[in-house]
Amino acid sequence: MSAARRLDPVLLLALPAVLYIAVIYGVPLLVLLGRSLLVGGVPSLAPFISFFSDGFSWIVIGNTVRISVLVTLLCLVIGYPTALALARTRGAMQALILVAIILPLSVGVVVKAFAWQIVLRRDGIVSQFMTGIGLWDEPQRLLFTEAGLVIGAANVFVPFMILPIYSVLKLIDPRLGEAAATLGASPFYRFFKVALPLSLPGIVTGIAFVFSMAASMYVIPSLLIGDRFQTLATLTGRSFLFMRNEQLGSTTAVVLLVLTVAVVVASASLSKRLGGAS
Amino acid sequence: MSGGSGFLSVAGAAKTFGAATVLDGVDLSMGRGEFISLLGPSGCGKTTLLRIVAGLMAPDQGKVALDGQDITRRPPHKRDVSVVFQNYALFPHLSVAENVAFGLKARGAPRDEIAPTVAKYLGLVQMSAFAGRSIKALSGGQQQRVAVARALAVGPKLLLLDEPFSALDRKLREAMQIDLKRILRDVGTTAIFVTHDQDEALTMSDRIAVMYAGRIEQLGTPAEIYHQPATPFALGFVGLSTRLPGKVTEAADGMVTVETAAGSLRARANFLPGSPVLLGIRPERMVIGHDKANRIEAPLADAAFQGARVQLHFHAPEDSQILVETPVLPADAGPGTKLKLSWDVEDTLVYPAAVASP
Ligand SMILES: Nc1ncnc2c1ncn2[C@@H]1O[C@H](COP(=O)(O)OP(=O)(O)OP(=O)(O)O)[C@@H](O)[C@H]1O
Ligand SMILES: [Mg+2]
Repeated sequence: MSAARRLDPVLLLALPAVLYIAVIYGVPLLVLLGRSLLVGGVPSLAPFISFFSDGFSWIVIGNTVRISVLVTLLCLVIGYPTALALARTRGAMQALILVAIILPLSVGVVVKAFAWQIVLRRDGIVSQFMTGIGLWDEPQRLLFTEAGLVIGAANVFVPFMILPIYSVLKLIDPRLGEAAATLGASPFYRFFKVALPLSLPGIVTGIAFVFSMAASMYVIPSLLIGDRFQTLATLTGRSFLFMRNEQLGSTTAVVLLVLTVAVVVASASLSKRLGGAS
Repeated sequence: MSGGSGFLSVAGAAKTFGAATVLDGVDLSMGRGEFISLLGPSGCGKTTLLRIVAGLMAPDQGKVALDGQDITRRPPHKRDVSVVFQNYALFPHLSVAENVAFGLKARGAPRDEIAPTVAKYLGLVQMSAFAGRSIKALSGGQQQRVAVARALAVGPKLLLLDEPFSALDRKLREAMQIDLKRILRDVGTTAIFVTHDQDEALTMSDRIAVMYAGRIEQLGTPAEIYHQPATPFALGFVGLSTRLPGKVTEAADGMVTVETAAGSLRARANFLPGSPVLLGIRPERMVIGHDKANRIEAPLADAAFQGARVQLHFHAPEDSQILVETPVLPADAGPGTKLKLSWDVEDTLVYPAAVASP
């Protein structure tokens, strides 16, 4: 009993981080939550009721979830093979891939989004390429479309899918694959029955990262799709910055928070379950 | 079972990593059902040879044939060669039974055959009670058994074991040696067993391949390896020996006289006079007293009591070693006592020596 209550000294090492988060993040969050639940100083669920009874809110929620899911899937499809390549190569090649993944993180999101504006224009290279190889009859604009947004956002977030998967893959004993091979398993079977299940914890972590970042991105949709298309994050920003409607802003912020926390918690517990099995 | 070679044949297998020659033209031929140990010091290329036979690594040169088919370029999953790895390499996300079933499922065995086969092999390694357990909840010896069951369950043509017992304590190791021999005999599996423990090799194998620096120095039955070691390395690596370098002074009728620091000795061999040679004698072939033809005298350094026998170490000139095993130590012998030693001419092993001894 007393042993369970005694504070683990290692926990003290986390104290600076805990204090930092509590002051910089926790307090404003409480203020935000308070605002969304107080109407004229009186506790009330009215802001939420009116938010959820508005059809436009559901469009915004739908946009947020759809874009986040698509971005996450695209990152997974691109990121998993990349992580696998990164884990299987050695030396200079591995360093090269790692640099190619990490270096772009040093370029700001705004710069990247502007770059994508140029790439996705009607006369941008994507359009030129597609018409050049004959897949498109005439030049098309991907900028200000959902497809353009998903492509641009996936580019920004894909390192956060690759790195957690890579960190799990590189810890898998290569002899497991060799053992499977000598037992008669084809490369295909080995991938689906050994590498993939053992890397699930990394996949789940990557999904949690990318989904929560995609759900809360603000600059990228602003630049790549514009005001016609609203997500919970952009609506929150607009409410505070342009509409001066702090009530709506704090309500959408809380909805967004609940959504991302739900995904992160669900994936964390899934990861723990899968990790426990491996 | 030293006959019936040719079920597995490795011919001229060579492998280099950068500048290092790890396998230098290895030839190995073994019969169906045979149990061969690869015995050699660390780094001599045992694992490399095993990986080449399993298809986990391609040789730079040479051929591997199994059951009449050239498999040199065949990928590992099409070879029917199972491996028990040194660290077992069990699948951590699967249970004990699922591990054993893995190879059967991968080969598309009929569903109703899988469960009985898994049960049979778990029974064979006495792990039936652990079928549903997680791999992480097993001791080293238990994991080892599961690894053996997993490798055998697919009914491989050839089983390769890479120092499977090296992580186990001595007692468990000896129990596992006996178990493994019994299981392999029951199943009738052809197996190559890598070890650098000579006792393990001597007790378990039909034949032993002594490896040194990327070559197989000698392939023979345990008795052949012990009594007629083909090279000085085999003489020194397997068992204990007296070693006396010297120079041939006379040679006639298949007999040589060799001048050594301990005296002039006779042996059955063909060498030209003047050749530098190394003489070797197994310790139990030497007796105290001058009853036999080859005679020396040496001061006793140390006597180690070993139960049934006493091991005597003698002071010897440089480059030499004198070692005798005898049932009883003479009563008046102590450190420093000069003892008369002798042995038969027939028990004197002779090897060409690379460098002349003074
Ligand atoms: N992938 C590799 N790259 C470079 N050198 C290697 C590689 N694999 C093995 N070697 C070298 O080849 C030599 C033989 O290795 P191997 O693993 O076959 O030895 P071994 O006889 O199994 O030794 P041990 O008893 O210690 O397991 C060693 O010197 C080792 O350093
Ligand atoms: Mg080895």
